[in-house]
Amino acid sequence: MPRLGVSHSFKLKSNPVRLLCVLLGLLVIHTHAKDALPVPQQVSLSPNLYKQQLSISWLGGAATTFDLMILRTELNETAFYETVSATINQESGHHQWNWTSVEPLECTSLSIKIRSRDGQTTSEWSDTQILQGNDIPSNEKFQMYPQDRIVPVGANTTFCCIVEEGMVFGSIHYSVMVMNTIRLSRRTYAITALNQEPSDRTGTNVFCSDNLKTKFVERWCLLETRDLTSAVCRWNEGRDTRLYGKQRRTQYSLNMRYHIHTGKECSVDKWEDNWTLVAVNPLGQYSLSDSAELTHRVRPVAPANVTTVVNAWNATVLWQWKYESYSSLALVCQVELTSQESKTKRTSSGVGLRSVVLSDLYPDEDYSIQVRCGAQKNFWKWGNWSEPLAFKTNTDVPDVPDVWFWINKDNTGQVIWKPLTRRQSHGQITGYEVTLWTSDENIQHTDIFPAETSAAPINLTQIAAFSVDTKVTATVIAKNNKGVSQPASVLIPLHLTVCLLAVYTDRGFPLYWQGDANATCGYVVEWFDAFCSKNCLVEWIKVSAGLNNVFIESASFKPGVRYNFSLYSCSSEAPELLQRWQGYMQELVPSSSVSLLTSQQDFNVVLTWGEIPLVDIRGFLLGYNVYMSNGPQLTLLVFNPSVCLQGPLDVKSSPHSMVHIVERPEWDSSKEALVVIPEEDEDEEGQGIGEEPVDTDEPTSLRYYNQVVDERPIRPRFPDSSDSSASSLDSARTDVTYTGIQTSGSSLVFQLDPQGSSDTHRPLADLPVSCGGGGGGYRPQMQSRAHNDGFDLASPEPFQEPQGASSGGYKPQCSWHLDSPEDSGESAGLAPSLGSPTSVASTQFLLPDGEKHTEEKKHLSSSPATWFTNLLSSTKP
Amino acid sequence: MAEQEEQKQITELDKPVPGVSGTGSAVALARQLHHECDRLLRLYKEKETFLGDLTPDGVRIVSLSPDSQGASTQQQVQLLHSALRQCLGLLHCLILKEEEEWGELEGDYETLKKIVRARLEYLLYTTKGLAETEDTTLEVTPDHQCNEETDGAGGVFGLKMWTYRVLLELIHWADHAAQTLHIYHTERGGSEEI
Repeated sequence: MPRLGVSHSFKLKSNPVRLLCVLLGLLVIHTHAKDALPVPQQVSLSPNLYKQQLSISWLGGAATTFDLMILRTELNETAFYETVSATINQESGHHQWNWTSVEPLECTSLSIKIRSRDGQTTSEWSDTQILQGNDIPSNEKFQMYPQDRIVPVGANTTFCCIVEEGMVFGSIHYSVMVMNTIRLSRRTYAITALNQEPSDRTGTNVFCSDNLKTKFVERWCLLETRDLTSAVCRWNEGRDTRLYGKQRRTQYSLNMRYHIHTGKECSVDKWEDNWTLVAVNPLGQYSLSDSAELTHRVRPVAPANVTTVVNAWNATVLWQWKYESYSSLALVCQVELTSQESKTKRTSSGVGLRSVVLSDLYPDEDYSIQVRCGAQKNFWKWGNWSEPLAFKTNTDVPDVPDVWFWINKDNTGQVIWKPLTRRQSHGQITGYEVTLWTSDENIQHTDIFPAETSAAPINLTQIAAFSVDTKVTATVIAKNNKGVSQPASVLIPLHLTVCLLAVYTDRGFPLYWQGDANATCGYVVEWFDAFCSKNCLVEWIKVSAGLNNVFIESASFKPGVRYNFSLYSCSSEAPELLQRWQGYMQELVPSSSVSLLTSQQDFNVVLTWGEIPLVDIRGFLLGYNVYMSNGPQLTLLVFNPSVCLQGPLDVKSSPHSMVHIVERPEWDSSKEALVVIPEEDEDEEGQGIGEEPVDTDEPTSLRYYNQVVDERPIRPRFPDSSDSSASSLDSARTDVTYTGIQTSGSSLVFQLDPQGSSDTHRPLADLPVSCGGGGGGYRPQMQSRAHNDGFDLASPEPFQEPQGASSGGYKPQCSWHLDSPEDSGESAGLAPSLGSPTSVASTQFLLPDGEKHTEEKKHLSSSPATWFTNLLSSTKP
Repeated sequence: MAEQEEQKQITELDKPVPGVSGTGSAVALARQLHHECDRLLRLYKEKETFLGDLTPDGVRIVSLSPDSQGASTQQQVQLLHSALRQCLGLLHCLILKEEEEWGELEGDYETLKKIVRARLEYLLYTTKGLAETEDTTLEVTPDHQCNEETDGAGGVFGLKMWTYRVLLELIHWADHAAQTLHIYHTERGGSEEI
């Protein structure tokens, strides 16, 4: 402004009228410019103590340059005052500027204010924000900053010492050197070590000491005002003088007029800018001085009569001041807001401030507040906190529920929604209103559900019967005492088509898909246990439009459980099923065997086996191995991991063997897998025939045996290969075992169950189209093709058990050894551990001729005891 | 290896002189320890210049039980033994922490620190020999867990202050040992002058 006056001064002589116009014009321009420059708002501070850096951000509108003023709060000295160009964060719209302080930020409190600048035009200053230092009275201890800092040789470092409250500063040493100090605040002093030399091995010691000689008299004296008129003087007692009694004790006087006889505090009616406290005792006297303007020493009293006006989302806090003089005092106030989950301080300022609006509250939430204030200009200290005041915000209507649906394979299903959290409920939820309607208005049905409900049943068959529409809309409204939420709707297609794929990797399922242009509002991926048949636990996640992948993680994923993942597009129409995946977190060995049935015609035997219970599959079923046991040898009849077989299968038994057929065991799903029967020595077994009671002559081939067999009162005899027994009886045995187990989570792509695969065992009614488009073939991780290749389906080569197991008869695990030699060590144990990579086997004994077949038929209708009697009679010479 | 040599050297030096009682030898040993602790502190002060005029607060790190006032001389030697064990623990801890912070250093201070440790161990064996009874077994292992926070808010400076306090503590207890053992010595008929 002075420059304007100078530059136009000569025109005053030539044309005063014109000058007046110019000045008015300038004034107008200035005024307009000032109006256009916004006062920076929402100034916030973020200190980095180690770097001594203060990040300051604010909302500054369109302005690009700002005046930044940083004062040491207590002494009101300028630490920094410059015009800066601040960068703007495009996302938040906040300007930001970093200031690196020469002194550690802990040294003393700093006051920061900002104004916008455009050339010579500036806005008003923003509210002052204070970064509190560690020299506030409540932090009484001796401190020094920085500590243990590492700096390069030649660097300059400023150290500050905060003297213990009540002590008098003495000196600061840098190593052995007494340094010149500057005072930063009442208790803080600083030195700067310039061009620092290399330190000793354990560093350079910088130490601060107080002045021991000043301990005789009282150490400090402070004057402040509470009512903006009077003064309150406080000091602390120093070292015990050991002088007692009226004549000996220390006497105090303030400004030589006010004599204090007792206590450490006094009040003086009228403020004076200079104060001297004199302490006198018989040994001498000591005086302390304190100088300050009244406005620099304002410590407000606590706000009184605090009340609130409460709404749902905000509240106004009101209070009163004890002193009328506060009405003209610029105040900065803090409201400490405490909720169940957090405690925050909100700062506001204003002249004679008596109210603050607390926004961004949550409805139906308990809060507690306290208020304290300080002088906005020349901040001295925060005043006392008001008494705590508790309030509860009003309720509001609930948020919109997050709604989805689940359809069972029988066309029944559920409309499901995520229960509203407390923060979403905005008051006690009283219930949910679910409406089903079709666009042809043939269906319009509303049900009310209690608050704890999160699903409503639907029957698409019934809906389809009454409507020609292809979709039904389900609308869910949450209700509380305040009212109802906005409706949340989901369109449910009355017919679903699907396709299957499957992947799994690294603690979750990464799913990818091709973007769908119709998915205007994104996608929904849902997942659930594939074998769950009704009212299943469905989880889902909504994916933004534009994304074409998601990583599904869930704590509920379990090994051995197959999951269906379905991708739906979201649009104004009914959700469209775009893709379906299936996958396992980890595949496990099936936990039960198939039920095996044989029927024999001459030398041909037809094997038939049934389904494995769905929950027992626990992995993708790839096929079956069928073995025939004849004596100690196992012959692989069929091996085909890529084609799933389900009986019947023709088996030609040995023409020289007698084959026994046993009855078809009835599956008892309540029992667990196999029963371990102790292994017997082959020789002993041979000797046992005919010599020992039959019911103890346990064939080794039954070491691992179907539970149903175990249930029988007497087990079939297993004949040896001796001539004597061959003359009367021989036996072959066929085992059906599973091949191929995915032993761990895999990201392999596989072609899931084409014709006759596991899905043929496990009809998934909601998966009418099997997934054939998955790309490369599925290869279970455990498979060792080198061994498997030795098993040509056409090869009649008998299967030789590993030597170590040969004496033990048939072991289902051995078939696993062939598949997975690297796992042989683990699977060699006797126990048919469900979690080990060991398949389980079903066994049937085959009879060699038609006569026996007749007997088998007869046997099927007879009791086990009868059957065994017949068998025994044929084996005894 | 160097420490073993130091130990051997000390052992040779402090072998009881023929004709002097075991208690007299203990007194001489304690005085020697006191002298060395004193010198150790001086070396530390020279090394860390800030300590010139510094006086830590008077709180002892190692303290005796309040009822030790009325104890017999024998019991006081036992209590002394207990305090010296704690001092040895503190010194162990000090050496450990300084090595952790700065690595292994060389110099008079470092050498003397280890000599003091060996001397203190030897004094412990001596007091054990003097004060152990059939009912009381005395240990000579360091009695300190070395788990206190020496550098909490004070950082490296905090460690230096703690070190300073430990060295003062050693001086105090070495002096206390010399006095207590001297009383013990005289009570058992030893001469006043050693």
